[in-house]
Amino acid sequence: MFNRRKFLCTTLLAAAGSNLPFPKKWHATHYSRHQQKSDDAPFITDTNINLFQWPFRRLKYSQTDLMLAKLRKHRINQAWAGSYEALFHKDLAGVNFRLAEECRERGEGMLIPFGTVNVGWPGWEEELRRCHEQYHMPGIRIYPGYQAFDLDHSDFRSFLQVMTERGMILQIACDMEDARVHHPLIEVRDISMDLLPGLVKAVPELKVQLLYWNHKVGHNLLERLIADTFVVFDTSRIESSGGVGRLIDGNPWFGNPVTIPANRILFGSHVPYFPVEANILKLFESPLTLEQISAIVSDNANHLLDSRL
Amino acid sequence: MDPQHFSLDPALYNVPSRDELREYRIWDGHYHGFLTTEDPIQRHREMMFYVERMGIERVISLDAGGTISNPLQSAPHDDAIWNLLEQEQATLSGLAPIDPGYPKESCEKMEKWVRNGPCIGIKYYGSTEAAIPCSHPNNDEIIRLAGELEAVIYIHTWIKIGGSPRYPGGGNNPGESTPMDVAILAERFPDIPLICGHSGGDWELGIPAIRPYENVYLQFDGSDPHSGAVDKAVNELGADRITWGGHGPSRSYSTELSKVLGASIPKADKMKVLGGNFRKLAERIFKAKGLSLQPH
Repeated sequence: MFNRRKFLCTTLLAAAGSNLPFPKKWHATHYSRHQQKSDDAPFITDTNINLFQWPFRRLKYSQTDLMLAKLRKHRINQAWAGSYEALFHKDLAGVNFRLAEECRERGEGMLIPFGTVNVGWPGWEEELRRCHEQYHMPGIRIYPGYQAFDLDHSDFRSFLQVMTERGMILQIACDMEDARVHHPLIEVRDISMDLLPGLVKAVPELKVQLLYWNHKVGHNLLERLIADTFVVFDTSRIESSGGVGRLIDGNPWFGNPVTIPANRILFGSHVPYFPVEANILKLFESPLTLEQISAIVSDNANHLLDSRL
Repeated sequence: MDPQHFSLDPALYNVPSRDELREYRIWDGHYHGFLTTEDPIQRHREMMFYVERMGIERVISLDAGGTISNPLQSAPHDDAIWNLLEQEQATLSGLAPIDPGYPKESCEKMEKWVRNGPCIGIKYYGSTEAAIPCSHPNNDEIIRLAGELEAVIYIHTWIKIGGSPRYPGGGNNPGESTPMDVAILAERFPDIPLICGHSGGDWELGIPAIRPYENVYLQFDGSDPHSGAVDKAVNELGADRITWGGHGPSRSYSTELSKVLGASIPKADKMKVLGGNFRKLAERIFKAKGLSLQPH
């Protein structure tokens, strides 16, 4: 039974934890710990992982320590972490606090928290302020399909403006899983990204990355995003045989030719939902140059972080 | 471009090198190199670069004869595909798509492409004009003939969320089989092996649907890679009942291989899933056709 005493204990523990400082530069601690000098192969910055429990089943590596061990095994030494709690929780202050705390307490210098705000709900400005000023998060990850707001929401432009002023990275998780296997009780909103190029053009300084984007970004929209904006893309759901290389070459198997330059692609694994091997192997399935691999697995992500500062 | 050239050693990232992948003896049981309205031969040639690069030993095309909308009607490139299946039999096999809406014509196609042609089995597509799933009695004639020919039987299955109110399978195409349809068919033909494709679409529901039927194999192909799915399938069905396919070019080999390579199962079981089990399924018809199961 969760009685008053337990409640107070939990609250006090949380309060005690919150008094500990959060790192001011989350990304500065990992290099010395895990970097090896025995070869020139780049380490990987994974820009798309999630912590805590996927709401619909237990995932193999959802426990943070197991996940980190798994990521390290595959030469990943930095991971940008969102929280599965962001999908359905309404108390986003709690979601962001727990995410920051987990990254600090169990992140082993590898995890960088990306908290969330819900533009469609009250108080997003304060959640954003806390993420930035209190937890020193470099970016925010939003999940419009789950958070149920469209890009034409009256506050979305303001949100982008504040993000720009704060110099934060915006990650948009376009999908979290194949809509065909959703739980029948869940009807995730089929959010249109068509307005994104215009919105982002209005705030050219804003750093925007799309995650698991392929179902929401068709060829025409992709062409506009490439030509008119500096939006970058993760690898997590880039499909097809040699898909990464063929996108870079402007030679996709299906649809009109469209090119995503290597400097616009960032490694993202979507762990723990996807096996990390899926996106590691993509680096080898396509005949990429060392320069292209370096850009995808680390340089582009580091540039995004550094240019933010 | 040399498909065997890599800028970096995959071992540095703790994934198998091409040579290590070759050791797995991978048979791609879901190859769509011919599935295009343009030039299927050219597409196949392009695909072979990635097949070679990823160490795949053999690909099994699911598109031998006809088209996805009219599997029983001859298509312009049928002869060329037939010839390739004969010329490249060391690395390429074919399944002939059939349509249970037309059992007589399906059996005629099987006589031509399987008994008297280069194919080693049949494929059920994901939707049919007559909206007949694999559980319908129409299929009995087809399955009996397939059993006689000892042909590999691959059945596309999915369980798509849809309908109002939403339910699993409510989003399926007309005639699109589910693992539950495969289970019904398996009960009628307990001695004939059936491959339940796409791991049922939704493997969490597909696995229990086919679990009691020892003659049903679950094939992981053509779906997002879900961490832990193969672990679960091995746990529930056993490693001997799972096969694998790449689903290229629309899916990446990385996606499909990761399902198995990321599983916490012994290497011997991974080898079964990635090729060993398919070879067992195809052993008799390979022998009947004088084909070799060994790598070329």
